[in-house]
Amino acid sequence: MGGIMSFLKNLMGGREMRILILGLDGAGKTTILYRLQVGEVVTTIPTIGFNVEQVTYKNLTFQVWDLGGQTSIRPYWRCYYANTDAIIYVVDSADRERLSISKTELVTMLQEDELRNAILVVLANKQDMEGAMSVSEIHTALGLDNLRTRTFQIFKTSALKGEGLDQAMQFLSDALTNRK
Amino acid sequence: MTDAKYFTTTKKGEIFELKSELNSDKKEKKREAVKKVIASMTVGKDVSALFPDVVNCMQTDNLELKKLVYLYLMNYAKSQPDMAIMAVNTFVKDCEDPNPLIRALAVRTMGCIRVDKITEYLCEPLRKCLKDEDPYVRKTAAVCVAKLYDINAQLVEDQGFLEQLKELLSDSNPMVVANAVAALSEINESSPSGVPLVEMNAPTINKLLTALNECTEWGQVFILDSLSNYNPKDEREAQSICERITPRLAHANAAVVLSAVKVLMKYMEMISDTEFVSVLTRKLAPPLVTLLSSEPEVQYVALRNINLIVQKRPDILKHEMKVFFVKYNDPIYVKLEKLDIMIRLASQANIAQVLSELKEYATEVDVDFVRKAVRAIGRCAIKVEQSAERCVATLLDLIQTKVNYVVQEAIVVIKDIFRKYPNKYESIISTLCENLDTLDEPEARASMIWIIGEYAERIDNADELLESFLEGFADENSQVQLQLLTAIVKLFLKRPADTQELVQQVLSLATQDSDNPDLRDRGYIYWRLLSTDPAAAKEVVLAEKPLISEETDLLEPTLLDELICHIASLASVYHKPPSAFVEGRSGLRKILPASTRLDMKKMEGSGDAQPAVIPSQDSLIIGDLLSMDINPPQVMQQSAPAASYSGPDLLGGGLDALLDVGAPSAPSAPLGPPSIPSNPATGGLLGDIFGLSSSPSTYTSPKTLWLPAVKGKGLEISGTFSRRNGQIYMDMTFTNKAMQPMSGFAIQFNKNSFGLIPGQPLQVPTPLTPNQPCDVSLPMNTTGPVQKMEPLNNLQVAVKNNVDVLYFACLIPMNVLFAEDGQMDKRVFLQTWKDIPTQNEVQYSINNVSANSDAVVQKMQQNNVFTIAKRNVEGQDMLYQSLKLTNNVWVLAEVKIPPSSNNCTVSLSIKSIAVDVAGGVYAAYEGILRS
Repeated sequence: MGGIMSFLKNLMGGREMRILILGLDGAGKTTILYRLQVGEVVTTIPTIGFNVEQVTYKNLTFQVWDLGGQTSIRPYWRCYYANTDAIIYVVDSADRERLSISKTELVTMLQEDELRNAILVVLANKQDMEGAMSVSEIHTALGLDNLRTRTFQIFKTSALKGEGLDQAMQFLSDALTNRK
Repeated sequence: MTDAKYFTTTKKGEIFELKSELNSDKKEKKREAVKKVIASMTVGKDVSALFPDVVNCMQTDNLELKKLVYLYLMNYAKSQPDMAIMAVNTFVKDCEDPNPLIRALAVRTMGCIRVDKITEYLCEPLRKCLKDEDPYVRKTAAVCVAKLYDINAQLVEDQGFLEQLKELLSDSNPMVVANAVAALSEINESSPSGVPLVEMNAPTINKLLTALNECTEWGQVFILDSLSNYNPKDEREAQSICERITPRLAHANAAVVLSAVKVLMKYMEMISDTEFVSVLTRKLAPPLVTLLSSEPEVQYVALRNINLIVQKRPDILKHEMKVFFVKYNDPIYVKLEKLDIMIRLASQANIAQVLSELKEYATEVDVDFVRKAVRAIGRCAIKVEQSAERCVATLLDLIQTKVNYVVQEAIVVIKDIFRKYPNKYESIISTLCENLDTLDEPEARASMIWIIGEYAERIDNADELLESFLEGFADENSQVQLQLLTAIVKLFLKRPADTQELVQQVLSLATQDSDNPDLRDRGYIYWRLLSTDPAAAKEVVLAEKPLISEETDLLEPTLLDELICHIASLASVYHKPPSAFVEGRSGLRKILPASTRLDMKKMEGSGDAQPAVIPSQDSLIIGDLLSMDINPPQVMQQSAPAASYSGPDLLGGGLDALLDVGAPSAPSAPLGPPSIPSNPATGGLLGDIFGLSSSPSTYTSPKTLWLPAVKGKGLEISGTFSRRNGQIYMDMTFTNKAMQPMSGFAIQFNKNSFGLIPGQPLQVPTPLTPNQPCDVSLPMNTTGPVQKMEPLNNLQVAVKNNVDVLYFACLIPMNVLFAEDGQMDKRVFLQTWKDIPTQNEVQYSINNVSANSDAVVQKMQQNNVFTIAKRNVEGQDMLYQSLKLTNNVWVLAEVKIPPSSNNCTVSLSIKSIAVDVAGGVYAAYEGILRS
């Protein structure tokens, strides 16, 4: 039934969902983007700028923007906030030292008016690495408990192995469909 | 409704509208929006505010959209340098796009984005593109390196892009090669030190030559231009390159032709094979002639270049006079340029044709052109002696037309004809005088007055004529006033009886009623001359003057050579070196390779003589003028070297000659040295040429006793002089023949001819114990006060010790004064040899010399006497040598060495402006040759 609905929606010109993938540099954003798009791990170099790709998941089309995470580029994230439906925030679970920075960036971003209605998905990435923090640890460290009104969920993922992404996308598409 | 509506700008609305359209998720709408943005951009509206939105459209698979966004980026990246970083990733991705067009587009845009912050991110993609499999991408990347170099030269060098670029010179694709060459040339030219960063070598040149035949016309231009910057290692290489590029002369593109001409003109300098050169010369004419059938603008550029070529090698176009004949519908700039070349090409063979053309031109309507045509007739007369009579006749015909400006021009040139052929055409003076009243231009008036003054004795009413001019003296142009003054003085000297009043009048007008300094000074000079010694005045004012020479408007030779290297560029159109009009160009000046053509045979023949310009022609007359003056001022020796380094050879020689003859006895007036390029970058090269490295075995005469112990109160000094590593030393042995030890030594020189002074205090180990010989070497400088000594190389020395002050005199062997940079350029040598009057030549013979000519060359070279040329005449070896004294006096020598090498007699003939040095130089020669 949902399938037919979205099919009809697409037919009637329902717009594609706009999703931003954000996070500190080296968190794995670009890898996740291409894992979602082509289902493979591609070699990446630091993204100076952005990538944008069409991603189709279960008959839903997303326009996914992967923005570079370097300190010099973070100020320009705001240029992409308008009309965003969802944010995928990627955290490097093995990078304990910079988790606080990651939190600050996340908090600042969520205060933006333009992202008031955006759905948030936090990916605790690099779970395949030794010493990776658990989901709950990251949940606490990022202060996600304080989020009151936001539709959000946190997932443990490994972009390299492809684990956890499916669940995250499932959540995202459900949440987006339901919101309509 | 309120008036507020007038304050809501539509512009903001427009930008806002575009912004939302750019963010639309409909591709069509997006594309339309980008097009609108570009449209606004091209009409000059500021749409930079849309930067992030446009950049977001960059990642698209639509090539059209991508191109538009790139266009936008090139325009606005500079105004949004921080935001430009967001485009980097897309460039990186596009440089790996499967479509070569996109890869090339990306790399090209990258080069055009002049934002320092992002250049470092662009290096990696650029590196990949330089190795791309597609030639179009490689070619674009090559150009991008040059652009990047302009933004950040250090980065390009550090990243090894120059090496990669050099590798591209051997690319399999000619288009890539051509662009790599273009990029390298641009980089070399912008290099701050002026030294090319990437030097070409023979194998690369070979590859370039191969690519030359296959690439596009503009590629060919780049390759040819870079060939013109290459210096072939020998004549053979130059010849083979010439052969391979000759076919380019037939190209339809004028730029290709001119660039090929440039290379050939440059390489021909290196080729001594006269046969080869004459074949090349024949091949050069047709393409140049063909250029003259293109549109006028191209013709003009061609003509400006031909003007240079004709000055450098008149042979090339000597048979092509007709193509330079002016067509009635030529634009004036082409006409004037053609006229100029016609005169340069005029010779006895074609003068008749040229004259009839010029006469035709003189009746045209364009005033400037007519004037120039009349002048041209005059110049022909001066240039081609045989035609002078016809030219004068033609000019007379033109004067009969009574067209005012024609008459005036004609009189100006007739004055020059009189100066070239005095006492030959005076019969026409009466005709000229008829037109006196019509002359209203200063130059024409001055010319006419000059003619009257010069031939006053043959013009019965000269005094009346000049008087008539004098009436309006105060209103005349200063040129006319000066001329009038001189002419009346001449008249007075020729006909003193009835012109006394006139001359007094003009002198008082010039000295009392005028505040023009030239006029006043000249007036006073004449006045005093006339009042002190009228006979001397006559000799001065009416002295025979040197004839004028034809080609005074030739470009100065070093400039001409430089411009030849810039044929087919703006410099050759301006006739100015690029440094004169390109800002910030400090690069090396291009120079022609040293010519191989001028050998000693030509030294004697006058056929190839440099065109003489008045100052250098015959310095004797000026000498006579000046020698009436008091004593030779000593100061001149200080100032002369400075003057002698300035400017071109010809002028230098003239100036120095002028300075020198005033002081015929001064030992140190210099000759024109070879023109020394002022560019410090060539210093190393010069050093090599002049052999600045130390000569190991300079000749030193044995020590002689200078101060016997009897005179020196017990101190005995013997010594000699030597030159080591460019430094003059006084080598002395001090011996204490007294009973007491000596101490407190010091030394001082009297003023001497060469300004020698001790370079440091005398260092004698003290106490000097009895009978203990002690060797001391005293370095000397030549910066001291100068006073002429008798003999010239006399040096008076005072040595002080605790006993007394002791005086002695010694002779400086001249050879220690031979400077290391005494090598004269062949051409300058030839010119200088001619310029020194024969009475300054002194002959000597040296007996009992056991050496052949090679040994002589070697020996003399070790002592800074440089052999400029050598030839063999009837078994005798003739050496032509030059040397320079520390006070910049040049000495030229001809050494004749008989074939037998044992105990032969060598004849030496020495020429120098300062003839006094000859004796000392002879003694030095003798010493060195016998050593």
